[in-house]
Amino acid sequence: MSLESLLTAAFLVPLLQTTLRSTTTLLLTALGGMFSERSGVVNIALEGMIIFGALTAAVSAQLMEAPYLAENPGARIWWIPWVAVLLAMVVGAFIGWIHAVVSIKYKADQIISGTAINLLAAGLPSLVLAYFYDNTTASKELVNRLPEWLGFSPLVYLAFALVPITWYVMFKTPWGLRLRSVGEHPEAADTMGINVFRTRYTAVILSGVLAGLAGAFLSIGVLNQFVRNMSAGQGFIALAALIFGKWHPIGVLGATLLFGFAKALAIQLGGGDIMPPTVIEAFPFVITMLVLAGFVGTSRPPKAIGKPYEK
Amino acid sequence: MNRVWLALTSAVFLLLLAVSPWAIAMRAFGGKGVLVTLWGTVDLYGRAKALPDVSWLGYFTAFWVALALVAAVAAFLPEARTRARIYFALGLAGVAVFALEAYLFYHAVWAVNDAALAEGARRPPLKRYSLSLGAYASFLYSLFLLAVGRLQLPGGRALLVRWRGVIVPAVSMLLAMVAGAVVVWILKDVKMPEGSGTLAYLAAKLDLVTYTFQLLFGPLLTASGWFQSLLIATPLIFTGLAVAFGFQAGLFNIGAPGQLTIGAIMTMLVGVHLANAHWFAGLPDGVARAIFLPLSILAAAAGGALWGAIPGWLKARFGAHEVINTIMMNYIAASVFLFMIASNEYTFFGKWTLHMPFKFPGYEARSYEVAESARIPLMVNLFGFQQDASGAWTGALSWALPLALVAMVVVYALTARLELGKRLLAALGAGVLGYFVGGFLPGVPMALSPKLASVRLNGAFVIAAFAVAFYNYYMWRTRDGYELRAVGLAPKAAEYGGVSIAKKTILAMAISGALAGLAATHYVLGGGIDEYRLKQSLPTNVGFDGIAVALLGQNTPIGVFLSALLFGVLLTGGLQLDLQLGISRELVMMLQALIVLFIAAGGFLPRYFTDPILAAQAEEGVQGVI
Repeated sequence: MSLESLLTAAFLVPLLQTTLRSTTTLLLTALGGMFSERSGVVNIALEGMIIFGALTAAVSAQLMEAPYLAENPGARIWWIPWVAVLLAMVVGAFIGWIHAVVSIKYKADQIISGTAINLLAAGLPSLVLAYFYDNTTASKELVNRLPEWLGFSPLVYLAFALVPITWYVMFKTPWGLRLRSVGEHPEAADTMGINVFRTRYTAVILSGVLAGLAGAFLSIGVLNQFVRNMSAGQGFIALAALIFGKWHPIGVLGATLLFGFAKALAIQLGGGDIMPPTVIEAFPFVITMLVLAGFVGTSRPPKAIGKPYEK
Repeated sequence: MNRVWLALTSAVFLLLLAVSPWAIAMRAFGGKGVLVTLWGTVDLYGRAKALPDVSWLGYFTAFWVALALVAAVAAFLPEARTRARIYFALGLAGVAVFALEAYLFYHAVWAVNDAALAEGARRPPLKRYSLSLGAYASFLYSLFLLAVGRLQLPGGRALLVRWRGVIVPAVSMLLAMVAGAVVVWILKDVKMPEGSGTLAYLAAKLDLVTYTFQLLFGPLLTASGWFQSLLIATPLIFTGLAVAFGFQAGLFNIGAPGQLTIGAIMTMLVGVHLANAHWFAGLPDGVARAIFLPLSILAAAAGGALWGAIPGWLKARFGAHEVINTIMMNYIAASVFLFMIASNEYTFFGKWTLHMPFKFPGYEARSYEVAESARIPLMVNLFGFQQDASGAWTGALSWALPLALVAMVVVYALTARLELGKRLLAALGAGVLGYFVGGFLPGVPMALSPKLASVRLNGAFVIAAFAVAFYNYYMWRTRDGYELRAVGLAPKAAEYGGVSIAKKTILAMAISGALAGLAATHYVLGGGIDEYRLKQSLPTNVGFDGIAVALLGQNTPIGVFLSALLFGVLLTGGLQLDLQLGISRELVMMLQALIVLFIAAGGFLPRYFTDPILAAQAEEGVQGVI
């Protein structure tokens, strides 16, 4: 592969497609994280929520389709992937609720609580996989994955559509204003009659829902099974994109597109002799660090972020 | 509230006593046991012949029911001192009766085995017998009653709060175990014999859960189990200290995996490539060892320090949060690691080719072997044992290490008047002297069991012990450590007092990284991954385990050491768990995660345990806090 071959349509079109796909996971997760962080709760558990979402979607879809496949191998049942996506969102919400209880009610260090959830996501899937498949690394491949509309999974469209929606919700609705006020100055919000705890619970659970959705996209949208550690740090990169994007939907869109492009480039160049794959794999992570060091100085996090609210 | 808790605990205890297996008469490989319960025997094994005579169990059951009833009634007595006396008496009686029960049970088992052997059986029929959940519950309930007794007396609750450093982790650990039990209950099925009822099914499930934890804690019962646990604990001590060091300075270092990786690469470069370099070929063995062993160890620390200092600098200079940066650095380190040992030839842009000398030829991604001079000896070697030609381990237990240790402790204790630095120097000198004197003394000749000798516990454990001592000394006995803790507790106040937060952040991250990097000495120089090489199987996840170790140990030196040992035991037991019950070792990882989560939530204990100000007031006995 030579440098000239990189400028042909045969390289650029798949590059663009892969960029949009790898952006989707980051975008869904980061938009979810935005709700949590704007309400004042650091959510480093996004990585674990993606993993739990991916696991739930793959395992539930596989279990639901098994009886149909027994009758007719290759049976396509349209509702199965959608129910699986829904379940992934429910499990994401549940994980979000755990993070919320520990960090809001019990006033834990939010980073430690999130780390615990990430550690849980590293251990529990193996036990679940061992129970269903006698295998600790991957789930059984499934037939009924998410459909593709015009070459992309519906969740890709959803992710990009969510950018204006979250912008509207966050900046043009009373609920968004309350959410932001809780993250900036909870005491003032409380005095105004806003229920700080309930707002934060909702926000953290919402971030779990979206991260679970991102996980479902990974396991039954991009692939057709759950593979251990399949999110490979994307939750953390989404968090970095959130900071880089200054906790704003438009900024988050730009940041995730940049990281998605870096990842797509790594995938498209992999295996060629342009760059060794190990170097390329480190690429998104190095970019993240450079970006955080260079640009974060000007972005201001929500004032009350990371601090438990004492009534 | 007090009475509700007492009633609840008593009810749970009686329920457990009634439903769960009281003891296991025997257990086959694979976990199928013959369960002795209060209402009869449940034979999951199916081929049990002789059973121990436990007809006396009924009387003891009556005793426990009576004990619980008296405890419940005593809660309504008006006088606190009387209540306390009654609970102490009940608790002591419970402990004594439990001991009697255990004695009777084991004798009943031994009687059956002896009788069978006398009749000419080749092996004792009852194996792997033990007490089980019902018996354990009665012991724990007795201890609970003793604690209740102490709580009745004045200052009881304040005493509990004073011990919060132990109680919060212990409660979290207990809750994690309960959650782990639930997961095992759900995920693991038991095969019941035909026609057995619900009660038997419940007993079998409870036995499964109990046996899971018996296996996990099993290594505590054997010498080789202890050795293996210490082996697994060694890297955990390093990474636990690394995370704890960061916590003390108010920094969360999730980068231990990456720091460990870079430490491993650096120590590989020195231990393999520098020590084997041809211009050192003429050095005598002793000299080469004196140069390259310390140099390789330092290289591991330096690699970790570098990888820790970068996010420290980024935080100090640009305000980039260390949590995200250390995570990113983990992934980058993993890439660097593979780049170094996965291949020796890389092509860039289709034109330039890079040649490297690090990968050992062959399919597997691994480095060349560490030079003899840079290897850390095994503990059995340090204690004076050698493997002979037949493979047996023989030799004399050398006095060198024990004497060095005793000399250090004695001199340290005797020189209390000296200034601390001199005191430490004197102790160290005495240790070296003791080592040499002990080396010349005739040792105790003995042979090691092959099982014990096969455990590759190596000198890195000694380095880990020194790291614990260093942490204790640096954090609580030096000015730098004091300033670090001040930055961690109140950064603004520390800065006002003249401490440079930027410098301290970089320093703390560097030392934290160095501690994590030292874990590589165990894996590469000590042969912790079966060979004296850097291999792809380098278990960098111990860096994350360090978080659980530090939190469970409450960031204290002794706590980190003990919790690393605990996880070493659990992980060692996890191997047996996989072997006997087919439950994946990942269960231990899940327990770790839950422990972190529950400790973060303060063990779900009341606020006066977790809030430092409320806790101080509770200890002082301020009214209305508790």
